[in-house]
Amino acid sequence: MSKFKKSFHIKGRDFIRAGEASINVQNLLKSMDFDPRLIRRVAICGYESEMNVVMHGGDGSLSLEVDTDKLILEISDDGPGIVDIDLAMQAGYSTANDDHREMGFGAGMGLPNMKKNSDQIHIESNNGQGTVVRMIFFLPEGGKTD
Amino acid sequence: MSPKLTSTHYVRFDQDLCAGYGSCLRVCPTKAIRVKKKKAIRIVEQCIGCGECIRICREGAVSAASQSPKELGKNHVAIALVSPVLYAQFPGVMPKDVLLGLRHMGFEHTIDMSYFLEIFQFATEEFISRNRKSQTAPWPLISPVCPVVVRLIAFRFPNLLPNVLPVLRPVALMAREVKSHLIPEYSKKGKDVVLYYINPCPTKKEPAHLPRHKRPGPAEVALGINDIYPELVKHVEQIKAADGIPFYQTRFEYETCATGNASMWGMSGGEIADMDIDQSLAVSGIEETISYLEKIELGLFQDIEYIEFRTCREGCLGGVLNAIDKYLAKGAVQKMVKRFGLGRRLHRENIMRMYEKGEFQSEKKPAKLTSLFGAHKEALSIDNMQKIEKVMELIQGTDCSACGAPDCRTFAEDVVRGNAALKECLFVGARAGKKD
Repeated sequence: MSKFKKSFHIKGRDFIRAGEASINVQNLLKSMDFDPRLIRRVAICGYESEMNVVMHGGDGSLSLEVDTDKLILEISDDGPGIVDIDLAMQAGYSTANDDHREMGFGAGMGLPNMKKNSDQIHIESNNGQGTVVRMIFFLPEGGKTD
Repeated sequence: MSPKLTSTHYVRFDQDLCAGYGSCLRVCPTKAIRVKKKKAIRIVEQCIGCGECIRICREGAVSAASQSPKELGKNHVAIALVSPVLYAQFPGVMPKDVLLGLRHMGFEHTIDMSYFLEIFQFATEEFISRNRKSQTAPWPLISPVCPVVVRLIAFRFPNLLPNVLPVLRPVALMAREVKSHLIPEYSKKGKDVVLYYINPCPTKKEPAHLPRHKRPGPAEVALGINDIYPELVKHVEQIKAADGIPFYQTRFEYETCATGNASMWGMSGGEIADMDIDQSLAVSGIEETISYLEKIELGLFQDIEYIEFRTCREGCLGGVLNAIDKYLAKGAVQKMVKRFGLGRRLHRENIMRMYEKGEFQSEKKPAKLTSLFGAHKEALSIDNMQKIEKVMELIQGTDCSACGAPDCRTFAEDVVRGNAALKECLFVGARAGKKD
């Protein structure tokens, strides 16, 4: 059983470079010739989570794991954490500040979008101690060969 | 990959002139160039014809794969299909005088694009307006006008092919009109016709393997503006000097001279300037285009309806086959627009009748574009990906390109694919040398 794993750094508050980690993940998946629709779903989840880190989370990382039957995207940060995960999963709920909204963010669609586009999502967060979001995308029968 | 200089469908390489500097390596958006044995070589099928290697090569080793107008009009009727960018190469000269110059050069007909640009604009507005209700295509729609953009999308962003506006490009509309109305007149008389596309870039020439060229029809030749400029300039000077030369009688509406609207098309933003679209953007330059496409793939810009991309900075005026500097040309366009104004000559109702019949619908489906221009590289397996990471650790990349690859990651991929040897990396070599 071999897996491929690679992680990328995300710098908090860096709105100019935000999205780079997701673009890198996207390029890796393209070179492995995954279904474009799957890549798009992973990219959207990557970008939404990357933006969460950039907006709220301080520094963090985005990692991609390619297994024979699934892809795993894991985003972790050392930010303030999520107080109420259930509430955060609701569409429209946002803790973005006015600055974020001025830049066009903060519609409260981040986590709901990630849930919609991934097959499984696990969030671990303790208030004040960072957040880890793990999303799983199952590959169709046959998956990816070594 | 054979170690010799290879020409592609769009660009031609002169091995004797190549000094192996490799400045072309890094500018190639599809990473199609390597330098081996101090000579640049190409992965031919990856060339999308952007012309960046022509622009950057100091030695002049790269040129467009366009043909020269030898013996123009001899044994054939020469028809020029003129990009409005041509007029911008003659600041202070009226477009009609430029067209007249072409006639003096030996072109029997000079087809101005204004008419077809307007048709395209009407059709685009209509498609967008209908798409607001039907949502048949995803936002943002991407302009199909710059062929490099479409090929770039097929090659690097296949996810975005459904975003490409499915309306026939102005040049396709122009060629169709000429082929169905003008050429038959000559065919009846048994005369051969050759269509000459006069272009600001090497891309308008579609590769010969495209099915379109297998269809019967007139011979088609792609000329760069700089191919005809030296000759044309003499005729234009003569026309300017001689007062009162009557303008030729033309038989078709589209043979008459350009509008301000058409002149604008050469500039970045010129395509959308006169279009009735709520949210649109114009982006130019290859790096900027790639950066925007990457962001669209991440799901951004869905609030924008239409994006005009041009891979040349400042738009088609920045094409590598132009004769004068893009900023001088831009000045000329701005003067023309001031003089003629924007606005269209055609009537919307007439165009809409043709629209209803589906006459402007592009037949190029995403799957077809992928098969023509997609990246035909073997997919990397998990095992290969691990190997690439190991190679990356060994070379501790600085993207120096001394190995002849554009960057470390591409080199590592080449090594794993068996197209390069690890020892070609200077750093690996140096460290091995120290141990000895």
